[in-house]
Amino acid sequence: MDSVLRAENISKSFGPIEVLSGISLDLRPGEIHAVIGENGAGKSTLMRILSGHLAPTKGNLYLNEQPITFAGPTDAESHGIVLVHQEILLAEDLTVAQNLFLGREIKRFGFVDDRTMRERTRGILAELGTRIDPDHEVRRLSIADRQLVQIARALLVPHKVVAFDEPTAVLTPIEAESLFAIIRRLREHGVAVLYISHRLNEVKAIADRVTVLRDGRHIATRDIEGLEPLGMARLMVGRDMSKLYPDKPATASDQVILSVRDMAVPGYVENASFTLKHGEILGFGGLIGAGRTELFEGLVGLRPSLGQITLRGETVHFRDAREAMAAGIVYLSEDRKGKGLLLQQNLRINLSLAALDKFTRGSLIDVGAEEKALDGAIKDFDIRTRSRDLLAGQLSGGNQQKLLLAKMMLLQPRIIIIDEPTRGVDIGTKEQIYRFIAGLAENGLSVIVISSEMQELIGLCHRVIVMRNGRVAGEVAQADLSEDSIVYLATGVHEERAAEIAAGHA
Amino acid sequence: MTETVLRTGAEKRRLKIDMRALSPFIALVVLAIAGALINPDFLTASNILNVVTRSAFIAIIAVGATFVIAAGGLDLSVGSMAALTAGVMILTLNSLGGADVGTLAIGMLAAIGLSAACGLANGLIVTFGRIEPFIVTLGTMGIFRSLVVWLAAGGTITMRNFELRELYRPVYFGSIFGIPVPIIAFLVVAAIGALILYRTSFGRHVVALGSNEDVARYSGVPIWRVRTLAYIIQGICVGIAVLVYVPRLGSATPTTGLLWELQAITAVVIGGTALKGGVGRVWGTVVGAVILELVANIMVLSNFVSEFLVGAVQGAIIIIAMLVQRSVHRGR
Amino acid sequence: MKTTLLKIAVAAGLMTGVATGAMAQQKNVTIAVSIPAATHGWTGGVVYHAQETAKQLEKGYPGLKVIVKTSPDGAAQANALDDLMAQKVDALVVLPFNSDELTNPVREVKKRGTLVTVVDRGLKDASIQDIYVAGNNPEFGRVAGKYFVDNLKQGNVVVFRGIPTVIDEERVSNFEKALEGSGVKVIDKQYANWNRDDAFKVMQDFLSKHPKIDAVWASDDDMALGVMEAIRQAKREDIKFVLGGAGMKDMIKKVMDGDKMIPADVSYPPSMISTAMGVTAAHFYTNAPMRGTYVLNAQLITKDNAKEHYFPDSPF
Repeated sequence: MDSVLRAENISKSFGPIEVLSGISLDLRPGEIHAVIGENGAGKSTLMRILSGHLAPTKGNLYLNEQPITFAGPTDAESHGIVLVHQEILLAEDLTVAQNLFLGREIKRFGFVDDRTMRERTRGILAELGTRIDPDHEVRRLSIADRQLVQIARALLVPHKVVAFDEPTAVLTPIEAESLFAIIRRLREHGVAVLYISHRLNEVKAIADRVTVLRDGRHIATRDIEGLEPLGMARLMVGRDMSKLYPDKPATASDQVILSVRDMAVPGYVENASFTLKHGEILGFGGLIGAGRTELFEGLVGLRPSLGQITLRGETVHFRDAREAMAAGIVYLSEDRKGKGLLLQQNLRINLSLAALDKFTRGSLIDVGAEEKALDGAIKDFDIRTRSRDLLAGQLSGGNQQKLLLAKMMLLQPRIIIIDEPTRGVDIGTKEQIYRFIAGLAENGLSVIVISSEMQELIGLCHRVIVMRNGRVAGEVAQADLSEDSIVYLATGVHEERAAEIAAGHA
Repeated sequence: MTETVLRTGAEKRRLKIDMRALSPFIALVVLAIAGALINPDFLTASNILNVVTRSAFIAIIAVGATFVIAAGGLDLSVGSMAALTAGVMILTLNSLGGADVGTLAIGMLAAIGLSAACGLANGLIVTFGRIEPFIVTLGTMGIFRSLVVWLAAGGTITMRNFELRELYRPVYFGSIFGIPVPIIAFLVVAAIGALILYRTSFGRHVVALGSNEDVARYSGVPIWRVRTLAYIIQGICVGIAVLVYVPRLGSATPTTGLLWELQAITAVVIGGTALKGGVGRVWGTVVGAVILELVANIMVLSNFVSEFLVGAVQGAIIIIAMLVQRSVHRGR
Repeated sequence: MKTTLLKIAVAAGLMTGVATGAMAQQKNVTIAVSIPAATHGWTGGVVYHAQETAKQLEKGYPGLKVIVKTSPDGAAQANALDDLMAQKVDALVVLPFNSDELTNPVREVKKRGTLVTVVDRGLKDASIQDIYVAGNNPEFGRVAGKYFVDNLKQGNVVVFRGIPTVIDEERVSNFEKALEGSGVKVIDKQYANWNRDDAFKVMQDFLSKHPKIDAVWASDDDMALGVMEAIRQAKREDIKFVLGGAGMKDMIKKVMDGDKMIPADVSYPPSMISTAMGVTAAHFYTNAPMRGTYVLNAQLITKDNAKEHYFPDSPF
């Protein structure tokens, strides 16, 4: 079949560092072509070259078999190649319609023609199967709806190739399912879809062909037939990945360390009760917005909360994170970049920030001790960094998560609450983090894992508590752990039915 | 891919000099050379000492401003606060009436106490009122200024006791081992400031708070305390500046300290501290204050700038100095 | 001085003089006074004198009401005028921030039939004012210049300018004109914003730059104080005297006491507001025609006449 966009021997260097070397790829009309690889494998760079954001150092691009070079993203767009960014790039204070047409407003007699833009926005959104009001401010939309608006904005121009960069990173399974419906519809219309992800189950579900990159090199391009997620992982990592999840530690005792009764976080959570045992890994599942994050932020004093918390038999109430830390409870935010690490500061300052008291002598900070702690953290947590003077923001997602773990572990906590431990983390690092969490439990610590990835909850946790609409919907014991049981509690309906609702067939 | 495991980095840890921290010093040297070329009198010891001594008030205040700005805040009230503190200090001295060291000490304590209280007020309103520091300190700027005008009944508050004035005079005009007292004062303030900002938990918390308030909060940093303390430090610095200012002219007027807040902020920014917070450079700030005063000095010493254009040339020099700095650390 | 049209004391005298005669003709009159707020020593003096005079006038003329309103800038003063007019006043005494901004607002006041007295800074349109009481800025510069010519005869002088304004320009250009043809030479001049601290700094720099300075025209008493401190610090003996201006009480005191460095001062009295208020009140309570222009000449204050200019209670 003829390709609509073809890359031949593409290389890209930044200074002396070659981040892509000799990549060839062809995209055919009416196919969904997934590109997978670990973080730093070169997926995003390749995507940016194909969509005109970057020019290749070597190699050629062909559009309908004609050689072409793009002057920039706008030029690529004018040739029908559009990119849906991973980050939400919308102006929050403008309405949906205003965002859609930002920079390409329809004008009438020199003035913006709001009515036409609103009508066209409504039309496009309807095609995507959503009923978002074009006059809503983007600020008021959920993350999933914002993602849809972003897709709508990309599809506004005539398109032959649409590239999605990790589109499901912020979506719940149901929302992801309706996005897949949209992507399949694009395929039916003969559009070539480039799909970047490291969620391998997703790739298996939606892609027609898969290209694997590793360390900037092309490893394989295969049809999806006969390629299972485990096989993909093996190709990505370059070694056997049969054991992503470690054995569950058998150390969970019956001794309760923390019990929470009738916890309420005004506006988010009501009547939440649960217990946590020594050496236990307790999962918290549910849809985004179910109140999981807010429950634990309330617990550790980051939000105002009501309810009875009993820690080792004593009633406690924390007014801020400092008090919770002093009591041996740490919370690692899902928002690593916004709430976990100081991106503009170096590794040393980030590492010691929460446990600074341990590094002060007299009233002065002992920088030597900090450096030693950093050496230890780099070794123990396998933080991979070009130089120890890097800023935290320059680390990859996986290494940021390791640094955050190292930072909080300096407090020597007894209870560790990790919110989305592997979001934005590549598969190799995921495995390391899982092993680390299991290790904590083996040593008698208690871990709470909040996750939207059901496989993670199933593979890692002893028990999973599922929340729905700010309430605890139920608990799944280890023996009963399955995607279906979690989804049922999270949505109140069985999975097939949920997918139907999401797809708008209800 | 490009990341490699780096287990032992100790040996190359200290080799790299941070050009960003160095660039204000380079700008200072360039300006000094320019000054010497414009007028040979520039390099006389007395002129250099005059200029550095004069920069003492702004330098001391700006050390405080470095804390507030590094913590992500802003204090526009420092100029008015200085005027009010100077006025109250002189009124205290006048009402005590004595001409001995004890009297002076009480006056000085009153000054530091008042300015620290003013800083506390700013800090508490910003922290607990959750109002933009720009607005809060704009408000207190007006309040402090009006209070001093009211205390002076629109005129001048002058030290009445001539003997006390003579006793106090050396604090601005005197010198120890040939170094004027104000220069010693601001070096000491800067050294203490640098120690607090770089080597204490509080200093680290200031930087964390300015970098990202949420991260600081999630890391257990006591935010309200850190922020309020930063404003109190600013207040104390204003108080110290006033201690050195009052003996110079022995008076406070409604125009005392006018626009000092802008000069202090400018010194902080020239020194390499980011206005958005998260970075604090105490020594850069001090150099920034000297640069500001140096530019004014060069203007008066030069013969070819009309007095009508002094402001324009000053503005241009400051912008050029910043561009020089920028190019220095871009080229690293 | 030779041609003083009206001394400060005259206003007070005139006022008390007519006050006795006015006892019979009791009537209700409201006078509004709009002046800048006290942000500088001199305007502080204006506020003080306005308030003192208001009290005295109300005592002297039964039925008279005086409203004094201060404003921090030109726009605020225009608003203040609106507010004052809402209170039905018979006369307005205004010391405008600047001519451009306030000409029209004052014209509006005039249109309502209010008597308008303008003080110090003239409006763009002279026909608006019924009474004009002004200091004489060109004369201020001339008197100072003449003092240098008479007393220094020849030598190097440095000049301190205030804030770039018409007032400053008139003073300095007439100062320089007065020096023409004499042996007195201006070797440097800089703006120091009528500010003590700025004058201190500029004088330090002048002292570094010029090895020999014979005298200093500080042109303002606040600036003169800063200049004196810088000279004292440098221990320079070459400077024979410093001439300020405006008549601050501390400086007048020095002149009275025979201070060598401050042998004289030039008056530019903030009490001109009292004169204007007195004349305006007299307009209503006497039959004498008061319309016209009253120029308060800048007067040289020396040891001989310093007493007349000394107000120990004034803040200025």
